[in-house]
Parts: sequence; structure tokens; C-alpha cells
Amino acid sequence: MDSTLVSRRPVWLWGAAFFIGMFGTGFLARWFDLPSIPSALVMIPPMLLLIPFVRATERAQAACGALSPATQRYNRRGLAWSFAYVLLLFVAVAGSRALDAHGPLLWLLAVLPALPILYLVWAMARYLIEEQDEYLRMKVVNAALSATGLLLAVATVWGFLETFELVPHVPSWAAVPVWAIGLALGTFVNRWSEK
Amino acid sequence: MKNRLKVLRAERGWSQQDLAERLEVSRQSVNAIETGRYDPSLPLAFRIADLFGMAIEDIFQRGE
Repeated sequence: MDSTLVSRRPVWLWGAAFFIGMFGTGFLARWFDLPSIPSALVMIPPMLLLIPFVRATERAQAACGALSPATQRYNRRGLAWSFAYVLLLFVAVAGSRALDAHGPLLWLLAVLPALPILYLVWAMARYLIEEQDEYLRMKVVNAALSATGLLLAVATVWGFLETFELVPHVPSWAAVPVWAIGLALGTFVNRWSEK
Repeated sequence: MKNRLKVLRAERGWSQQDLAERLEVSRQSVNAIETGRYDPSLPLAFRIADLFGMAIEDIFQRGE
């Protein structure tokens, strides 16, 4: 059997386990109307699935000759921002309720979850600077352009639909997951075009 | 652009991984260049030419 296929299979398994775990526990926490701390606690185990997911991704990248030192650093930074995001989101939500925050404290708590996202933007910029392999860098740039195109299209269409009160308001932080979906689609198209 | 990279590599008995390590690029990059899916930048083309001790135009030619 193709060794590349064998090494890629765990990526899908770990990825599926992570997303099912995160959405599943999130759904259950809402269903049972759990308070902030128990909600955060039940989401820790699926969050930890990110570690084997990233490791499996790196094994697959190495198997198809696409794992560079810059990619490894980006993966480590990706893990760091993911955990920091969950932690700071929990601190912001739980803190604002527990402390009945308002004024400068509320501003501080509100901006906390954004900090790891800013770190993600920095990590992506660092990757493009640090990547010495021009072909791998080009593929990421292509995927990032696809992601940006998707984000612009979705935001524009949704914005006008919202202006005419056809759809509900969506917070602007939704730009990040939309961009991430675009990046994943762009990466998938890259792989497909290589076959 | 066409290139003779695969032939030149085979003449030396190098695998794609061997060539990738000599050029300090990924194996995927070597594969993409050999199969014509990616045209290398001028600096990388010079590195390839230097490695094989040839001129760039002896390795890369115009055409699909």
C-alpha cells in the first residue's frame, strides 16, 4: 500500500476526533446548560486531541517530503495559540460574569481572546519569512490568497444580506474561522492539483 | 518550461531525496520541478546549475 496514504490516514482520524469532540462537548455543555468552569473542563480532553492531530499532520507532511523546519515551527505556534485562545476565552467569559465587569476591566477581558488570534497572524507572517523552501512557501501563499478571496466574498454577501435584514448579525471575529476554512480548502486544492 | 533534472539526477544515481538535500529544499519541491509543475526562481535555478556544473540553459529549456 502507498506509504503516503498510510501516513495520512491518522490525520483524518485525529482531525475528525478533535472536531467531533469539540463540537460534541460544546453542544452537550449548552444542552445541559453547564456553568463556565464545568463547560471548560469537559472541553479539555477533546482540546488535547490537537496534539496527536498536529503530530500526525507532521508525519504525513514528512512522508510526502513537505515538512520544513519553518513548517514545524508554525505547527508548534499553532498549538500554542489554540490552547491560549481556549484559555483566554474561558477567562474572558467566566471573568466578565464572575466579576460583573464593566469599564476598563471589561475592555481588558473583551480583548483577551483576540490576543492569540493576533499571535496567529504573527505566526503566519513569521512562517512566510522563515520558510526557505520557495515551493512550499508558494503553496501556502496560494492557499492564503484563496482563503482571503473566500473571506471577502462571504463577508461582502453576508454584509449586504444583513443590511437588508435578511440574515442575523454575525460578530466580526467570525472572519477568522471563515479564513481558516478557506486556507484548508486552498490546501486541499493544492494537494489535488499535485496528483 | 522543460527541464532535464530527472535525467541528470538519474545519471548520478541520486534519489529525489538526495537531490533535495543537496539543494536544501524539500523532496516535494524537487518532484514539482522535475514534473514541470513548478518553475524554480532564478536563484534556485542557479543553485541547480551549480550543483550539476552546467549552465542554466543546459538544464532548463523553453516550452511546456
